[in-house]
Amino acid sequence: MNGVFAVYRKEILTYFRSPIAYFVVAVYLVGAGYFFTYNVFLTGTATMTETFLNMSILLVTLLPIVSMRLFSAEYNARTIELLMTLPLAAWEIVVGKFLGAVTILLLMTVGTMIDLIPLYLYGNPETSTIAAGYLGFFLLGMACLAVGQFFSALTQNQIVAALVTVSVLLAFWFVGHLEGFQATDNMRSLVTYLSFALHFGDFVRGLIRSEGVAFYLIVVGIALTLNTSYLRWKR
Amino acid sequence: MSEAIALDSVSKRYGSKTIIHDLSFSVAKGEIVGFLGPNGAGKTTTMRMIAGFTTATSGQVRVAGYDMATDNQAAARRLGYLPEQPPLYDVLDVSSYLRFVARVKGIPRATIPREIDRVGNACRLETVMKREIYKLSKGYRQRLGLAQALLGDPEVLLLDEPTAGLDPGQIQETREVIRAFGEKNAVLISTHILPEVTLICHRVAIINGGRLLAVDSPAGLQRASAQSNRVTLMATGPADSLRTELLAIDGVNEVSVKQPADNSGLLSIDCQTDSRDDIECEIARVVVARGQLHRLQREQPTLENVFLRYIQGGTA
Repeated sequence: MNGVFAVYRKEILTYFRSPIAYFVVAVYLVGAGYFFTYNVFLTGTATMTETFLNMSILLVTLLPIVSMRLFSAEYNARTIELLMTLPLAAWEIVVGKFLGAVTILLLMTVGTMIDLIPLYLYGNPETSTIAAGYLGFFLLGMACLAVGQFFSALTQNQIVAALVTVSVLLAFWFVGHLEGFQATDNMRSLVTYLSFALHFGDFVRGLIRSEGVAFYLIVVGIALTLNTSYLRWKR
Repeated sequence: MSEAIALDSVSKRYGSKTIIHDLSFSVAKGEIVGFLGPNGAGKTTTMRMIAGFTTATSGQVRVAGYDMATDNQAAARRLGYLPEQPPLYDVLDVSSYLRFVARVKGIPRATIPREIDRVGNACRLETVMKREIYKLSKGYRQRLGLAQALLGDPEVLLLDEPTAGLDPGQIQETREVIRAFGEKNAVLISTHILPEVTLICHRVAIINGGRLLAVDSPAGLQRASAQSNRVTLMATGPADSLRTELLAIDGVNEVSVKQPADNSGLLSIDCQTDSRDDIECEIARVVVARGQLHRLQREQPTLENVFLRYIQGGTA
């Protein structure tokens, strides 16, 4: 675990000594603030439901900017040669980097909580629904980062990594729309199960279902395992 | 001396292309070995296999007694590696970077500052410890790369072009650091700079086309290159009989005698000889008996010539 913490600390230092983390967090908070203002003040309802749905799309499109550099930048700077020859297991590199990116996600999540102040001051929101929404939001973000980190490991071009990640994440976001086109129940169940948006919708409505939690954690697990296997195979 | 690096019939293939063919050599503790070869010879691939960045397709690579195929973590703890391009994180400052490498190498937390000071002093980085890496000159970047490899006093040090980009003073200092390190540990240096090999390496491994052509001490390689020994003279005397008598000396293979263009009477004599130590004395005796010796010079092959002969012809 010593290796995981060392990689994690290095990642955090790298994020905050380059403009990218500040840029992504700032753009995200401005966007989330706009959605919150629009949905709450203009509609006059003390709920985060619509805001969470808008924030999630913003998250899916912004997080690939956080994840794109995770491995691609290491390939470009040839620092991958250092990481792979230090006494670090491939999984330690993968997990350390993932935790670093998740810290940025955590900042983005916590940053939006400032919106809750007016909500509680002037309204009577349902705390459990909001908590479920934040949990779903965080799990969705973790899944997006894990997928992005895997694609970052496949290319040394950060832009390619980001574009492929956005494409794949949007495909998983909208795949549920294909439900009506499926001929069999099995296929309908499959496209529904694979939909990032449908699982997220449950959380936003205040439903914390083990299936939803497990889904995002499985996506994280699969992406990080593929990432680790790829690094081992590359060696 | 125990073997700190051992390659046993190592080959590396990418698809159907074989990059390294059946490579076997070793580096002992307390030994500095130079790894020579032209671009594309397979030096970097070999260094990467020893460092554990890539694995051998067949054969065995052992570092500090550990098989890189099965025990690369244990080996990595005993290895310092400076790749061809120093692996630096530009946005970090020098001391944060060294602290990161020290932590991963498992250096006890309490001793990390002392260890960073030690390698920082050895590589003359004291004045840039708080500077961001992207602001460093090429020389400092190279020395920082070396410093991270030295962290933790590893048993084995792999250096790919360690003095590239350094000025003459820095090259001298870096050689001293490597020489001091190599007194008790094993060092393998890949380099194009031949004088470097002569100055600091105990042995030289020459590689070309992924094949090992020779492993010997620099002096041994020069001696083995027998055909390259040459004795040149300026002398007076009868040209034809001098030529005949010089050719009669055991070890003189070829003699050319050129008449002077002016009327000085000085002959220019060029003898190709074997590597016998005292052959020039015999040549001098023959010349003095027949005429007057004005100048005699023995030229031994430079390592550069030996290297070129190996990579051009396969043998010296």
